[in-house]
Amino acid sequence: VKRRVAVVGAGMTRFVRRAQETGKELAWEAARGALGSCALTLEDIDAVCLTSAPDAFDGVHMKGEYLSDGAGGWGKPCIRTYVGGGSGVFAGIQAWYTVASGMADVALVVAEEKMSSTQPHPQGAFLTIFDNVLERPLEPNLLWIFALEMNRYMTVHGLDKRDIATVAVKNKRNAAGHPSALLGQADITVEDVLASETLAWPVQRLDVSPISDGAVALVVAAEGVAERITDRPVWIEGVGWNLDTAYWTNRDLVFPEYVANAARMAYDMAGVTEPRKQIHLAEPYDPFDYKELHHLEGLLLFDKGKAPEAARDGVLNRDGDLPSCPSGGLLGVGNPIAAAGLMKLAELFWQLRGEAGARQVPGSPERGVAQAWGDLMQVGTVVVMGTEGARRGTAAGSGSAGPPHLTPAPPDPAALPSEPPSDPPSAAASTSHGVTPPVGPAGRALTEEEFRGAVGAVEHAVDARYEWDVGVAVGRFLEGLRAGRILGRSCSGCGRVLVPPRMFCERCFRATDAWVRVETTGTVETFSVCHVAWDMQPLDPPQVPAVISIDGSDGGLLHLLGDVDPSDVRIGMAVEAVWRRVGERTGSILDIEHFRPRRGEGA
Amino acid sequence: VIEKTSRPGDVRRWPGRIPVRHRYTPGRAGEVFFTALRDGGVLLGSRCTRCDMVYAPARSFCERCFAELSADVEVGPGGELASFTVVFAAVDGSPLDRPVAYGLVRLDGADTLFLHRVLDAGDEPLEIGERVEVVLRPEAERTGSILDIEGFLPVGGSTG
Repeated sequence: VKRRVAVVGAGMTRFVRRAQETGKELAWEAARGALGSCALTLEDIDAVCLTSAPDAFDGVHMKGEYLSDGAGGWGKPCIRTYVGGGSGVFAGIQAWYTVASGMADVALVVAEEKMSSTQPHPQGAFLTIFDNVLERPLEPNLLWIFALEMNRYMTVHGLDKRDIATVAVKNKRNAAGHPSALLGQADITVEDVLASETLAWPVQRLDVSPISDGAVALVVAAEGVAERITDRPVWIEGVGWNLDTAYWTNRDLVFPEYVANAARMAYDMAGVTEPRKQIHLAEPYDPFDYKELHHLEGLLLFDKGKAPEAARDGVLNRDGDLPSCPSGGLLGVGNPIAAAGLMKLAELFWQLRGEAGARQVPGSPERGVAQAWGDLMQVGTVVVMGTEGARRGTAAGSGSAGPPHLTPAPPDPAALPSEPPSDPPSAAASTSHGVTPPVGPAGRALTEEEFRGAVGAVEHAVDARYEWDVGVAVGRFLEGLRAGRILGRSCSGCGRVLVPPRMFCERCFRATDAWVRVETTGTVETFSVCHVAWDMQPLDPPQVPAVISIDGSDGGLLHLLGDVDPSDVRIGMAVEAVWRRVGERTGSILDIEHFRPRRGEGA
Repeated sequence: VIEKTSRPGDVRRWPGRIPVRHRYTPGRAGEVFFTALRDGGVLLGSRCTRCDMVYAPARSFCERCFAELSADVEVGPGGELASFTVVFAAVDGSPLDRPVAYGLVRLDGADTLFLHRVLDAGDEPLEIGERVEVVLRPEAERTGSILDIEGFLPVGGSTG
């Protein structure tokens, strides 16, 4: 028996680079903001759904349990869920099934992230996401995977970087109206983005969302209860999530099929048959500007490769046909990872209630979609939310009220002036109708000096080292490398030759059949020119990481390109492995020094 | 699928570590607690009147009812040893030169327990329920750290 579930309250802290508050204190501020927004207390809460991204940010294992008191979990059923960057939106899904199942009538949803504790740079936490044996020896950093995906997306569709940069501009401008925003900037231009420092080509500094601390919370309630809490519940109409293979070098980097699968699941549940008509605003995940476009296509709101021109033409602006990230998104409000995802659900709640103040999308939107993405470019999490009016429209099968631009917008008396406030609203102002989020004193930013000099501060390093067993398939693969061979495994179920090899096929879920010696040549699927190491120290000369599809297989490997001027590298270039000398090989991915263009390619 | 290892020397492992360290600032309540400890040599707790609870060290909110709290109660310096252990081995299992006692202490005026070392009280065995008193480092050496507290010294007598 499934019950309908609504969001009835929301709260958030400011997003700041370094918060004075501990993670628990941030969680508490957001949670009490959400409770206060719907006049509930902790006693009214039956269950707590908590999320936070990697433990390595805090060096606190059992982070869910650590945060639980600030999330209101004392003495209640409380559990932390985690799907990397997809966590914040997933927390809304967790809350939905917790309430829809009948286990709880009212649940508190809390997402917290404190990235500032990680030294020397939070990117260090992401070093652990890559394959222990086949990728970590290459010292990849998180920027690589975004740069590699962005390059392929741009190249396959022939996209203009300018069009992608308009997303960063839009979101930072939108965030200028958000009281919690870290990087709101009303006057930023595309030229600013294109002139910013190149980190890992094509990724530049202003293409990327900032490191942040912050927390967000929602209150959700079952049908029958929700209407007693508020006269304007916003219904969670559909939820979906989906995972792609863990072998990211084996994946289509141009289109996020896992997001599309999650979106279909959510739309199906919501009765949304024509998302381009029935979705009035979107909060897609935007840790990098191109990701918002990639995800809008994954959400089936644009044809493949067509979202960038929509951005260019203003379709995604707050007053466009499909407002996207009216909050300001991760690029503008900030990216405390799990909290940033849940912020997207909070924004839909405020927008669909007409409470978004300076950020309000015109035309009384009735249905929106929020999405997040994470793990190793692998998970899509999607939530569709709608007003009571949206539900009636869907139930009638009429395709709802139509896009907001077709609905004449009544002037909203509660809306703030469109120029951004020069000062954040005071705590007193936050209680007035039409100003969201309710901002109290929470989320005070520490300066670098305060952070370094804080009384009672403690430095700590987890003194743990690891020895990863290479396993059966990779062990044999590494022996092959020592002999100057690249080995794959064949699966007669799907007919693929798997590189990297595995003893089971994750699609057919059967044992693979035989070892196959594949070629030591391949094609550049995508590449980046990376100018910074994981701790953001400059790399000179730059590195050229690439995903190389291996000839004779259906798979690919992450490796570096060499013996080539970075400006001569092209997607589709034929390359070959350059091996270490026989006596110097150790049975490691580093037995291949790098790949280089085959004769006749490149320079 | 599980292949028998015919050459055990070929079973290989790849070494690695996570090259990050962390810097923790103590937060809103923590800053007040550590400043008072360093400058005044006092231990501050927080009272929740609704729940009739005193938390020590101080907290900025009550985890039971979510009320906002301040560091408004001085607790200790005496207390009751609620439990203890005597540790003979280091984290890596190697023997310690001298065993170290750790205790959970209910400071006078607090409802929660406080973890710290129990200082050497001579040959008397420790007893649950006995009275202890906090020993601070000299003011000039205090930095605003939990280690500004040397530990708890048994002072004889019992609460129980």
